[in-house]
Amino acid sequence: MMASIDQHKEGKKDVTFRVFRFNPQVDSKPYFDDYTIPVERGVTVLRSLNYIKEHIDGSVSFRAFCQAGICGSCGMRVNGLSQLACTTQVWDVLAKSREPEVIKVEPLRNLPLIKDLIVDMDPLVDKMKHYSNWVDSIMPEAQMGKKEFLISEEEFLRYDKATDCILCASCVSECSILRANKEYVSPAVLLKSYRMNVDSRDSLHDHRLAALVQDHGVWDCTHCYRCQESCVKSIPIMDAIHGIREDAIECRGKKDTSGSKHAEAFMSDIEKKGKLVEATLPIRTNGVVWTLQNLLPMAMKMIMKRRTPPPPPLVKSAKGIKVFREMFREMTEHVKQDHKSHKK
Amino acid sequence: MKPFDIVIVGGGGAGLYAAMEAMKTNPALNIAVLSKVYPNRSHTSAAQGGANAALGNKAKDDTVEMHIFDTIKGGDYLADQDAVNVLCTEAPKIIRELENMGTPWSRMEDNTIAQRPFGGATLPRCCYCSDKTGHTILQTLYEQCLKKGVIFFNEYFALKLSVSGSRSKGLIAMNMKTGRIEAFAAKTVILATGGYAKMYWNRSSNAAGNTGDGQAIAYRAGIPMKDMEFVQFHPTGLRKSGLLITEGARGEGGYLLNKDGERFMARYAKEKMELGPRDLVSRSIETEILQGRGFDSPAGTYIHLDLTHLGSDLIKSRLPQIREMSMQFEGVDPIEEPIPIRPTAHYSMGGIDTDNFGRTVMDGVYAAGECGCVSVHGANRLGGNSLLDILVFGRIAGHTAAEEAGKFAPGMISEAELAEQYDAIRSGMHSSGRYERYGELREELGQTLALNVGIYRESSLLQKGIADIAELKERFKKVRVIDTSDVFNTNLIQVLELKNMLDLAETVAAGAFARQESRGSHTRTDFPVRDDANWHKHTLATMVNGNVTLGEKPVTMGRYELQERTY
Ligand SMILES: Cc1cc2nc3c(=O)[nH]c(=O)nc-3n(C[C@H](O)[C@H](O)[C@H](O)COP(=O)(O)OP(=O)(O)OC[C@H]3O[C@@H](n4cnc5c(N)ncnc54)[C@H](O)[C@@H]3O)c2cc1C
Ligand code: SF4
Ligand code: SF4
Ligand code: FES
Repeated sequence: MMASIDQHKEGKKDVTFRVFRFNPQVDSKPYFDDYTIPVERGVTVLRSLNYIKEHIDGSVSFRAFCQAGICGSCGMRVNGLSQLACTTQVWDVLAKSREPEVIKVEPLRNLPLIKDLIVDMDPLVDKMKHYSNWVDSIMPEAQMGKKEFLISEEEFLRYDKATDCILCASCVSECSILRANKEYVSPAVLLKSYRMNVDSRDSLHDHRLAALVQDHGVWDCTHCYRCQESCVKSIPIMDAIHGIREDAIECRGKKDTSGSKHAEAFMSDIEKKGKLVEATLPIRTNGVVWTLQNLLPMAMKMIMKRRTPPPPPLVKSAKGIKVFREMFREMTEHVKQDHKSHKK
Repeated sequence: MKPFDIVIVGGGGAGLYAAMEAMKTNPALNIAVLSKVYPNRSHTSAAQGGANAALGNKAKDDTVEMHIFDTIKGGDYLADQDAVNVLCTEAPKIIRELENMGTPWSRMEDNTIAQRPFGGATLPRCCYCSDKTGHTILQTLYEQCLKKGVIFFNEYFALKLSVSGSRSKGLIAMNMKTGRIEAFAAKTVILATGGYAKMYWNRSSNAAGNTGDGQAIAYRAGIPMKDMEFVQFHPTGLRKSGLLITEGARGEGGYLLNKDGERFMARYAKEKMELGPRDLVSRSIETEILQGRGFDSPAGTYIHLDLTHLGSDLIKSRLPQIREMSMQFEGVDPIEEPIPIRPTAHYSMGGIDTDNFGRTVMDGVYAAGECGCVSVHGANRLGGNSLLDILVFGRIAGHTAAEEAGKFAPGMISEAELAEQYDAIRSGMHSSGRYERYGELREELGQTLALNVGIYRESSLLQKGIADIAELKERFKKVRVIDTSDVFNTNLIQVLELKNMLDLAETVAAGAFARQESRGSHTRTDFPVRDDANWHKHTLATMVNGNVTLGEKPVTMGRYELQERTY
């Protein structure tokens, strides 16, 4: 493999890969090893790691399989950002590297470490099971194979993007809530849950939604957008999260939790009056932060969708209202931009 | 661990369908699926184009019979016609079944499953989900297995069948997370470990792990391999990496152009043009390259796959993955410029010899998917027929094993046998003196295969290939495993995979040398025509005293008589 790396003289430089090392059998704590190799333009991080493994240190351990960005095996953090090693160009990383010609490679976060760059995927699989991340068909098994369901292209497009997910766990690694709470549902699992819930062939919608609105579920998300920003398949994960929340509110009454009750009050207020009335805001009970994180982005999205005029600024000042206004403005911007980028 | 009724090795489409069907057949059975990667990572996920079934959604006049004929003709009459009947007859049913259980599909205007044209098919019958069909099928099967509570042993590496007399007692495998060698005593074992085309290394479109492990395990246990010389080269691999640009790109109307800007397929397949069968298109490209009509570059000679005339909208909506891959691995945006491509080793028609029910010659051992060879693809597989094969015959193997598990007494695997396996593996870690690097051997194996056992084959080249493989096998004895740890030793795994590829490479080269004719994907420049009188038969490669021994098996004929194959 190196023969071809060496072939071109143009665009070649020595790059140091600072690789996270940990072998649970001998190491009491992790450390970094530096490997400096010549890399030519066009080479990926995975090819560089393969080179290191084959020529310098056979014990460097990482997963890789398809080498084409489709199997999801090679998720790792490259200069701090979770991504696929096999589709990440070394030169692209160097262009943004803080330390010249140095690339730091670390395992994904938020999943238990096994060895070097390898983390345990089982917790993610367990969550897929917990949230029934499968279609439970409305057709009895004995009937299957005889007739197709007739599905419009429009319905297919509702879950088309979501089925791009290759379970690489980059979003899991970047999720801000998971850092604090390992039991949190996880962005990829929310995405998959949404995909199942909008499939007309599925019969588990209510059951799945009921699990999603419990503790560690969809209401715990802080809307930090990090998952979406890091998704290796550019999937609009936030649409799925918004979708589940809207759905939870629309199905209110069926599954009442504190989250959805507050959300309900908040939303109906906006819908009916087109403005925020302080008295009915859930701020009092849940605090400013909760309200901002959980309800505003969705409110904005629903407003944009229904072309309701945006609510006027709050008149009465309450505790924290200044912060609230400022964040409200920011959120509005964020939602607008988000909307634009998804239409592309 | 208590003995299993069925142990399935492989979590690709074949293995997962087998597991689901076995559970359906008899829910009381104790079934395990072992996989060296998480099932959703299996190579089935890489299939972009689609799966064939005569649903008649796009071409109303399509029939199962036409699908049967296309498959037999495409396989250059080496396929067993009774097996092809099963494949094509089951096709519409199994695609609908997948749809019914929740697989996403692109849709026609009348809301039925979308179909598109594919190489070698008379009518458009390839069912697809944009360009991620294998991925969405595999996702669905994995999800359904989770739903049904299938027991998975993920990241377990199968090492060998434990055999007593003419029957298997189960399987020995390594838990990759701990390095422990574990016994899976079982009444039946289904091998579904995928293909072996990765032996061509970076002249292959396959995942790094498509190293023919299941075939090698069966081969070393004395089970015959069928038609191993038939390796399909996909016409359109990316120049640098060998990664695949799906036939869908040509199905949507892409052109193949040589350096004179000529649509050269007009010279080789006037009617079908770019949509001729794979072997023909690959040979045509190779000929263009050999006759100096390719583009030269440091990364090898190539030709162009031109999509620019299809327009940005179509490329973005129908071929987004292809666009992404061209940009990531070649730095080329197909909306703006043609993609540099050349043929790449892609699919193994050969595999473990099975009957139409997935049975091998060994009691209690079954095989399915690309790992097995029923033979439905004969000398050349049609695009879109492989996903179909793994689904249909994965299901059949699961069903057969479930029905027959009761016939066999549970096996017992002794501690001594495990210890012996452990020692054999560890011995490679402490060799002293000069040692060989597995990476170099792997690379050299790929090179000699591509050069001497590639698209164009010839007696002296094949002899060179056979000698090279023998030499590599000798050198392999000195390969050192550098990583001596137990936990997730990927270095060790790669060495074990290399051993499997070396053993199988011998069968591929031996079969290619013996078969003195040209048929399907196997082209001998010294024997340029099909020789039905002497070679209308399958080859069987069996390991006897450590060496490959060739035998043969007749082809099952049916309604279709031998005909010349023209397109
Ligand atoms: C790039 C590409 C595109 C393709 N496109 C199409 C297409 O459009 N249409 C079509 O019909 N076909 C296509 N094919 C072919 C098709 O995808 C494969 O033939 C098919 O998916 C093989 O499925 P399988 O279940 O037999 O094996 P795989 O999906 O390869 O699964 C093998 C399984 O075995 C496991 N395994 C292997 N070795 C071991 C071991 N030692 N121990 C434990 N487990 C092991 C692996 O972990 C894996 O789970 C394509 C192939 C490639 C390479
Ligand atoms: S938006 Fe929600 S799910 Fe996504 S990273 Fe932030 S907290 Fe996690
Ligand atoms: S949502 Fe994106 S980042 Fe997350 S697992 Fe799926 S593909 Fe990876
Ligand atoms: S190796 Fe498969 S996604 Fe990177």
